[in-house]
Amino acid sequence: MLLVAVSCEPKLDEFVPSSGSADFSKYVSLGNSLTAGYADGALYTSGQSYSYANLIAAQMKKAGGGEFVQPVVTNEDGLLAGKLKLEISTNCLGVSSLGPIPAGGTPTGYPAALAPVGYAVNNFGVPGAKSYHLVAPGYGNPAGLLAIPPTANPYFVRFASSPTTSVLADAFAAQPTFFSLWIGNNDVLGYSTSGGMGDVITAPSLFTLALNGIVAQMTSAGAKGVIANVPNVTSVPFFTTIPYNGLVLTEQAQVDALNAAYGNGLLGISFQLGQNPFVISDPSAPNGIGRRQLKQGEFVLLTLPQDSLRCAGWGSQKPIPGQYILDENEVAAVNVATTAFNQVISDLASANGLALVDVNSFLVNAKSGLVYDGIRFGLTYVTGGVFSLDGIHLTPRGNAIVANEFIKAINSKYNASVPLVNVGDYPGIVFP
Amino acid sequence: MRKLTMLAVVCTFLFSGVYAGGYQVGLHGQKQIGMGLVGTSLTFDASSMFYNPGGLSFMKPSYSFALGVSPIRSFTVFRKNAPSDYTASTDNPLGTPFYFYGAAKINDRLSAGVAVNTPYGNSLSWGKDWDGRYLIQDLSLKAIFFQPTLSYKINDYIGIGAGFVFATGTFELSKALPVTGANGDGSVSLNGSTSAMGFNAGVLLHPSDKLDIGIDYRSKITMDVTGADAKFTVPATLGGNFPADNKVSVALPLPSNLDFGASYKATDKLLLAISLNYVFWSVYDSLIFDFETNTPALPDSKNPRLYKNKMIFRIGGEYTVNDKLALRAGGYYDPSPVNDMYFSPETPSLNNIGLTAGLSFKPVEKLSIDLSFLYLMGMEADKNYTPDNFGGTYKSRIYIPGFGLTYNF
Repeated sequence: MLLVAVSCEPKLDEFVPSSGSADFSKYVSLGNSLTAGYADGALYTSGQSYSYANLIAAQMKKAGGGEFVQPVVTNEDGLLAGKLKLEISTNCLGVSSLGPIPAGGTPTGYPAALAPVGYAVNNFGVPGAKSYHLVAPGYGNPAGLLAIPPTANPYFVRFASSPTTSVLADAFAAQPTFFSLWIGNNDVLGYSTSGGMGDVITAPSLFTLALNGIVAQMTSAGAKGVIANVPNVTSVPFFTTIPYNGLVLTEQAQVDALNAAYGNGLLGISFQLGQNPFVISDPSAPNGIGRRQLKQGEFVLLTLPQDSLRCAGWGSQKPIPGQYILDENEVAAVNVATTAFNQVISDLASANGLALVDVNSFLVNAKSGLVYDGIRFGLTYVTGGVFSLDGIHLTPRGNAIVANEFIKAINSKYNASVPLVNVGDYPGIVFP
Repeated sequence: MRKLTMLAVVCTFLFSGVYAGGYQVGLHGQKQIGMGLVGTSLTFDASSMFYNPGGLSFMKPSYSFALGVSPIRSFTVFRKNAPSDYTASTDNPLGTPFYFYGAAKINDRLSAGVAVNTPYGNSLSWGKDWDGRYLIQDLSLKAIFFQPTLSYKINDYIGIGAGFVFATGTFELSKALPVTGANGDGSVSLNGSTSAMGFNAGVLLHPSDKLDIGIDYRSKITMDVTGADAKFTVPATLGGNFPADNKVSVALPLPSNLDFGASYKATDKLLLAISLNYVFWSVYDSLIFDFETNTPALPDSKNPRLYKNKMIFRIGGEYTVNDKLALRAGGYYDPSPVNDMYFSPETPSLNNIGLTAGLSFKPVEKLSIDLSFLYLMGMEADKNYTPDNFGGTYKSRIYIPGFGLTYNF
């Protein structure tokens, strides 16, 4: 009866996946938290399963790919860090609204978090890793965690094959036929996410050295691969959500009091009804008081405690500390570095015949909106649907979109036919 | 041929619709269906009231009653744009267009009657979880037309006729909303009903005993649904953006038709007929959902359709074997009115080739048992709904057996 029923339906030729000139039988991915599947501020079980690398691997499997093993975190609450969730909470003014709050639960802490996974993996995405970390021996040595500054990374300690190995050495030892490399975000982001404090942008020479080393090693046994570049910070909601002029004054009395407190405009700081640039701390402010107002093109980081703005006078009576600000000099430094890194990446891709995913351009274009199968996406925080609640890492649907960009680049470079993932198969941001 | 016949028989009785282009349905008389849905110039019986009221005054019996039903079993398959291995198919409920006609000759020149039929409709289901669920999951459009009709034979060569159309209709639509809650997607379902009016007028020319020529015009009818129920199911915190018991207004135009047909008695036994049906689909410019309560997340939604006017070519023939049996066959080409840029899976209307066959058997002189079969091939094509970036290859097959009775005296 089933046979009969099938014959009534018209038939369409099946899509035939193919690997083209590539060989997906052993795929490994190298990268940072984005590759690991970090989301909502944590690495947790389901988030990992939606890593773009895992999604790509599942599609490659249809074109001759093999198993793809991830260093699974067996805790939905997170490893080391706990994740965020969207929930209604009440702020210091007593106003309830929907926003990200710690999800609670019991993230796996030390020392259990360091327990070796005990199996070989394909996904060498290490949260926090910068370009040169991938080539650093001992990056998985638990003893290095205690060094000042630390020379190891707890996320790599979990699956490093030995205390002396490097991410690159382990990835190469897996004998991949195909690899993906998306690194460099932390080389600028680490600097930017700390408001330019406490971290430095990786020197282009060091970045070049590291990437040349990685690509040379990974391709040395004939593996083909794909490499992705670094998005500009202005594409990432971590930087773009709080506007530079987010200080909204609704009463003239407030305006007058603030103007009086700042010398009625003599210090270059002035207020009016409506939106005003926040007041920030800047030791080199020309007015000599160590404060100034933000300028357009400068960014307030998403980590800024919102209640301090609302109830503690931050951004008006008190300056916002520099660690929450990416000022114009820092933005310029980040842009220069991003451009330089992306040039290195694109040169390496052409020199080694690798597929290139221009994530940077993709996200710049995505600012005006993306549509897949009737789902509308943007780069805005929460409502955009691409970035998860930490404002930096991807939602499952965001991972699917990125995975598709990788697949398109791979198909194009290697004349392959790896099917795209259905973006709608994956969850968006979960609303309570 | 035998394989095709087998397929027809088997697939039909599995029983389940989209048929003619867009959401127009052409199944209004088993005899006409058997002849490639040609009808404008034919004067078989009371069914002329739909195909051409001008022809009613030429029908031979004094009283004519016809009723019939055409269960539609339709299958549409979809393969997403490459590179994708995603495929889907519809699991459409059985569509059941029907007709009832009763007409009488008041005198030699004047005839009157009433027609009840279903010239428009669409019922399809892609399922709750398919990849196009944010465009459409299930849709049902049903319209029933009531048409009192008068026909006047001016002389032996020309008849005119017209009918007033009262149309009632219902629609139900459900689709998923791309907001994720603890239980997965949100959803919206709309349902409402309405009524509207129009007309059907035609002329039949009978220049010789061998030739008939018909022209018929059926007016556009806009089904304005106001205050239909719009039920939203979304995560609790988004309830303010999607009021749970909203109302919606939507207008669905049923396009006008201009039909021209000619039939020729080649021999005493063989009747040949053609028709050209011009459908003014361009009235379907956009599908607008006007919500009673708008929110920033729920503005009124204007969905471009930009249908194009299309001509359908039909040809058919009837062979009278003897007093008891007539056999029919026909075919037609019905090009898709859907704009290539705005091809939504909600109305997956392709370029269709229809093949038909039919027969009438008269156990007694006054009663005719009319059977037909329509096999409709929706030709494989790559189509996209660009506003939603959703597209792929579509293909369809539709099996429509028809059963009818005619009683003339």
